[in-house]
Order: sequence, then structure tokens, then C-alpha cells
Amino acid sequence: MKVTRILGIVVAVFAIGLCGLVGAQQAAENVAVINAYPVIWTDPAVASDWYDTETMYNLYSPLVYPTPEGSVRPHLATSWEPVGGDLTHWRFKLRQGVKFHSGNELTAEDVAWSMTRFITMGRGNSGPLGKVTATVVDKYTVDFLLDKPSAIFPETLALFFPVEKALVEANIKKPGQYGDLGDYGEEWLSTHDAGTGPYMMVSHISGQRLEAVRFPDYFEGWSDEGWGPNEVPIERLIFIMETDYTTLMTLLKSGDLDLEINGGWTLPQLRDIKADPRLRLEYVWAQNVTVWMNTKRPPTDDEHFRKAVLYAYDYEAVVGPWAEFGNGETGIILPTMPGYVPIEPQPRKQNLEKARQELALSKYATGPVPPVVFHYCGGLSFEEEIGLQLQADLAKLGVKVEVAGPPWPQYSAECSSAETTPNMTIFLFAPQVAPPLDYYTYNMYHPKGLGWIFEAHWFFEDPEIIRLLELTRATVDFAQRLEIYKQLQPMIAAHALALFPYQKPTPFATQCYISGPKEKINMVGPSENMHNWRINLTKKAGGC
Amino acid sequence: MIKYIGVRLAQSIFVLFGLSLLIFFIARVVPGDPARVALGNLATEEQVQKLRAEMHLDKPFAVQYYYWLKSMLRGDLGKSLYTQRPVTTDLKQYIPATLELILFATLISLVFGQVTGVLAGYFRNSWFDNFSRLASYLGVATPSFVVAILLLFIFSQLLKLTPSVGRLPLMVKPPPTVTGFMVLDSLLAGRPDLALLALKHLILPAFSLAVIHIAQEGRITRSSLIENVQKDYIIAHEVHGIRPTKLVFKYLLKPSIIPTVTVMGLDFAFLMSNAFLVELVFFWPGFARYAVNAMLSKDLNAIVAVVLVIGVTFALVNLVVDIIITFLDPSIRIQRRGG
Repeated sequence: MKVTRILGIVVAVFAIGLCGLVGAQQAAENVAVINAYPVIWTDPAVASDWYDTETMYNLYSPLVYPTPEGSVRPHLATSWEPVGGDLTHWRFKLRQGVKFHSGNELTAEDVAWSMTRFITMGRGNSGPLGKVTATVVDKYTVDFLLDKPSAIFPETLALFFPVEKALVEANIKKPGQYGDLGDYGEEWLSTHDAGTGPYMMVSHISGQRLEAVRFPDYFEGWSDEGWGPNEVPIERLIFIMETDYTTLMTLLKSGDLDLEINGGWTLPQLRDIKADPRLRLEYVWAQNVTVWMNTKRPPTDDEHFRKAVLYAYDYEAVVGPWAEFGNGETGIILPTMPGYVPIEPQPRKQNLEKARQELALSKYATGPVPPVVFHYCGGLSFEEEIGLQLQADLAKLGVKVEVAGPPWPQYSAECSSAETTPNMTIFLFAPQVAPPLDYYTYNMYHPKGLGWIFEAHWFFEDPEIIRLLELTRATVDFAQRLEIYKQLQPMIAAHALALFPYQKPTPFATQCYISGPKEKINMVGPSENMHNWRINLTKKAGGC
Repeated sequence: MIKYIGVRLAQSIFVLFGLSLLIFFIARVVPGDPARVALGNLATEEQVQKLRAEMHLDKPFAVQYYYWLKSMLRGDLGKSLYTQRPVTTDLKQYIPATLELILFATLISLVFGQVTGVLAGYFRNSWFDNFSRLASYLGVATPSFVVAILLLFIFSQLLKLTPSVGRLPLMVKPPPTVTGFMVLDSLLAGRPDLALLALKHLILPAFSLAVIHIAQEGRITRSSLIENVQKDYIIAHEVHGIRPTKLVFKYLLKPSIIPTVTVMGLDFAFLMSNAFLVELVFFWPGFARYAVNAMLSKDLNAIVAVVLVIGVTFALVNLVVDIIITFLDPSIRIQRRGG
């Protein structure tokens, strides 16, 4: 027997098998495959991270809805007002005729029960609310009693999503960690929904895939106004949860992926997408790249040293190549948000002369400067890039920077106290907490803020800043509050607590037949609400 | 034989117990706060402390291990901090996806590896032997994920012959889960069209994993075959004029594949944990990816479960390999009988 003959038989068998298996892919219809970060929690009382919020806005509806101006507008609630003058009692009027996915009507009973559940479970986004007691006034009116005065309470409810009481109660599993309330319906809500949102959950495999279909009776309707003739609502959503952008690029290019909403693309990938006529980039909100400087650890404990860092950093070297994708100047809050004030010292250009002057004023002017420890989240190359740039820039001042990227569990644990936080830690803060202006100010600079990675500068010594931050939470009028925010930003910046290398827009990569939201709202959630997106089936079938 | 299997299984239990003890403590001394990671960024310190207490993380290691062992003996491996589901639910979902992939890859490597090895060994120093040597070196030296990306680029992107990623097209609803094997479940659901689609999706990832093993196993079979060809009993058969095909398949192949079977067994278990990059490239929702996610997010219960599964796989595969070898090699059979 000849080797060629045997080989020929093997190759022929394999080739026949392969030919039998390969073939054309199935044609897509009114379906959008969307990549989101791994969604673990779909229970509104437990969901907290920004990718959970993206799902919440599709399956549920919040009581109030964020606006492009930074405030909120009516949604499930049509109006609200404080009762009495101490801002601890708020009354909300509910919209009538809002239907849950089951077909039942939303009432004050559902809202009050959902709030009680939210606070009792004490998870997800409930932390910033404190202790809230909810009572039913009538079928469409609910009262909330707070344990501390809050002028921003209505705005925090942009992350409060009522569930259908009867449906969740019917699916409580006992025994559970909430005593007589069993598991409070948590397990059931991880694979089902009990909401009023524009889409209804069909299935959910935690961290892997979530499927939803359009809810025709959604209370805001499905108006065609403002959309093109062939742009129709998306009937079926399939959220996949891939975090590797090489794989995502393959999916996007092959047409398997319609929309990507996390924007973790590399620079070459963005250029590739931009150059491809079949694809498009959609910008809605941006994130603040923030390098905290630990004020309790030498040498960043010295304000002049911190200012020297701000002047020594070469902003343009890092941000330059990204400028075409919107990366640029930022500060205490994002420039895309109302009330933004450019801050000093945050020169946007390297100034080594001034850096040396500041260093000379610091207590480290004479003698050796202790090395600066810069930590970033392991695996995030853009964070490492900033660390390496700082290393090169501060070397010019004779300062050594040690750059390391421990994995997230270790990195985040380091930030649990001032003693264990490295000199510099870098984070990417998306506007994920309602209201976003409060998130970037009170929650990041007040001693009772979110703490941990959100306040890894550990500076709370300026009583005027603390007073003004508290005043923001006591000012009901939004315009007045905005003025306080404007006043606060330069005051915070004067202490040089953080280096803000750039703002990083989140580019949603889409196929050309998908159209994005008309409103640009600076918050995670509303932008990913697929009620605000349309699909052009003609273009999808025939090409753009 | 039954006594031998029983002894081996008993030994495996001790090994797995030691393994669980070791990994349980290693996972806990690695820096990081699993409760904080599990609850997300916005959790308050109070919430984090509450979860720590619920997970017994505030207690000494020995007490934590006691609680874990107690639950494990009831079949409860705890809750995954990452997926927030029972770890057993996760394992039931992810293991079949990887097993299906590995079985298909093993089948490919078995067919191609053995054919290549036998041909190269029997026709040694021919053009095919030289060519297969070169291809083997290339196959062994090229990491699976590079093969994966190349195959994806050529067959999916350029030629558009195969699907790019996943176990099924992303918009297709999977069949109800019975075995977790997509091809099989599709057939059980009466959907041969889905089974065919699932098979299409298996080709590239399985081949990517198989390439290195084809090369490796092909070389081992070749060497073994050449060694056996020179043995007296084969020369005697040749002298008696037995047909080459009969000589190869009846007398040469069986003893020649013994070392290959051992390597294949180890490769199979190795792939359970090392298919990660191929699973990543092909967006394959498998066990290896789950394992890596568990490690990165310090998902304590999942880490211990994952290591145990890999341990069990190694133990079982070694046992199966030993049994197969016993059947292939009569001398071992006689030794075990005490002959």
C-alpha cells in the first residue's frame, strides 16, 4: 500500500465531512446582538454595577429619569415635593395606567413594597439612600420618610426600580436569609423580571447571556417620531457578555455583533472601526480617568510635591493619539456635564520649570525623595501607560516611580485604608451613581462619601469644602446647586488630590443599520436603554 | 481488575482530600477581599462585613474549612461570588461545553495523530515522514491560540467556510439542556439542523486544540512503531509473507499505541484547564474560562471546585488509561493478576 493512497483516503474523508458541515449562516431578522459587561444581578434590589444598571433600564423603569442637563424628569412618578421643611419627608405622585410585563397596573403599593424590599435587603444601590420608610397614601401616591434630610433624594431615585409586589411575593423561596420573607424573591428575579421596562426578560445565564423581547405595552409607547422611515424598534435583544476585545472585533467584523456598549477598544481597533463603512461609532457618555494621590503617605503627603506631579506630567504624550476619539481635558467633574469648571493646577501641558519650583517648595526639596508607588488594575494597558508616562516624567525631577499592576481583588483591597493605599492609584470613574454631579463631588471628597477606591486620596481636612459639599445636598433648587458645584471645583483642585490625565468617552461600536439615542445623557443606563435605539432592517438586509 | 479499580479509586479520594485542603488555604492567603469584589464597587462597608460573616470569612481558616467540608459532603460546593449561583449549577453548565470541545479535539487528534504516526513510522525516511516531522515541529511549537486565530482568519474571515465564534449562532436559541452537549441536546430535541450548526461551530476550536496533540502523538506513535518494527516477532511475520496492512493493523499498531494512549489521557485532562485561550478566542462558554475568571475575581468556592474537578479528571483519566493499557498489553494484565 502506498503512502499517498492512504493519505488521499484520509484527506478525502475529512474534506467530505468539512464540506458537509460548512455552509451559509442563518440570516438575521429584527434582532440585535449586544455586548455588555458580564451581568450577574438582574434583581433591582441587588444590581449595583454599571453593567447591571444597563440591564435595569431595559427591564425596569426608574421612578425618575435623568436628563441631559444633569437633573431628573418625571418617569414612573409624575411629580414630587418635600412635605414639611426639613427635607426628610418626600411625596411622589405616580403615573396612572403603567403596566407591568404581567399586564397588571403599577400602584403605590408596588412602589412602597419595592422600597421596603430595597432597604431591607440593604444591597445594590441602596447604600447611599440610608434608611427610608415608604408608606402608601393612596393608589397613586407614596410617601418616603428619610433618616436624614436630603435635597437630592428624588434624583437618587433614578436608580430605584419598582418591582411587581404580587409576582415577586408569589416567587419567594423559603427558607432564606430574610427570615419570614425567605430570599425575598432574589433567586427568582435572577432569571425572571417583574418590571415595567421597555423589554421583558426571556432568559438569563448569569455572566454569560441575557435575552429579552420588546414590551408592546410599555408606558412611554414606541413612537416613530424623529426616526427615519425604515427605522423600527428592535424586537429582540440578545446581550452577550464578552470582555476580550479581539474576540469582539471578530464578532463585529463578521456581523455577528450588532452593538458594543462598553467601549474598551484599543486605539488601532477604534481606527479600524472608524475606517470600516459598515460600522459606526456612537458617543454618549464619558468616564473620568483619575489618578488619586494618597495624602497620608510620603512623598504624596506634601501638597507642593503633588503639584509638582501635576506640572511634570506630559498630558499630550498620552492623550494625543486618542484626541480624534474625543479623549481630552477633564477635571473634578466631566467637561460634558453641566457646571464643569476647568481647574488649576491642571496645566494640560507639561511644565517642568514650574514642577521644579513646586518640588523646591516641598519638604522633599532637600534630601532623597521616597519612591512613589503607582498601582493600576492589572491587565488594563491604558492605566499602565499613564503610570509609565509618570515614571518617565518624574524621573526628570529625580523622583523614582515604581509601577505595578496587581489583580483587581488585591488592588481594590489595598485601597481599604490610607495606610495600605499606594501613593498613586488609577481608576476609571463612569457616571454610574445617581445623581452624577453628587457622585463626582460629595461621594469622592466628603468624609461620609463612598470611601475606598472612590476616596483613595484620604484628604478630608478642609472644613469649607466639607461645608459646601453638605450644602449641595441641602439645596433643592438645581440651578443654585449647580453654582455651588462651580464654586467647589477649584477649591478641591487647589489641594492637588488627583491627576486627571483625560476624559475617556465610551464609544459604542455599532453596525451601520443601528441608530443611537437622540439625547446625550451623562449617566450609565439611559444611553443603553434600547427603547432609545432603532434598527433599519432595509439597510441590514441590503447593506449600508 | 475490580479490586484494582477499587484500590485506585480509594487512593484518589485521599489525593483529592489533600488537594482540596491545599487549594482551600492557598486561595485564602492570596491578597484581596472576595466579599468586596463580590458585592461590587458601591457596596457599603457594612454590607461587605455582613457578607464576610455570612461566608464565615471572619473565622479562622480551620473553621472555614470545616464549614466547607460539611457542605461539600452534602454535595453543596457553595455559592460562586462571581456568578452568584451555586457552584454546582455553574459546573453543570460549563463542564459539558468544554468536555464536548475536548472530546471532539481528542477524536481529531486520535485520527490524525495515529494515521500520521503510523504512516511516518512504516514509511520511515520517505517524503511523508520528512514532511510530517517538519509539520510536527511546527505544530508543537505553535501555541493553540495562535492556531486558533490563524484558523479563524483563514476559514471564517477570508474563506467564510466556518462560523466564527460560539457554540451556536448568537441569535439562535439553544435547545433545552439535557446533557449539556450541544450536538447531542440538539438531536434529543429533534433538531438535526441545530446539531449540524453545533458541529460546524466545533470544527475550528477543536482543531485549534488538536493541532499540538496531533503533532505530539504522531511523533510518539512513529517512534514506538519504528521500535516495534525491529522486534523479532515482526521480522518473523514479515519473513512469513504476511501482508503489510495486516502486519500494521494486527501486530504493530496495538503495542505501538500504548505510549500514545498514556499521553492522550494526560492531554485530555490537561485540556480541561488549559483550553482557556482557545475558549477565549472562540467565545466558547466553557469550564476553562470559568476557571480563569474564578481565579481573577478571587471566587473562593469556585476556585476550590475548579481545582477539584481538574483533580478528579486527572484521577479518572489515569484510571481509564491504565485499564485501556491493561487490555492492550497482555503482559501488564498477567502482572496484575500476580503472574
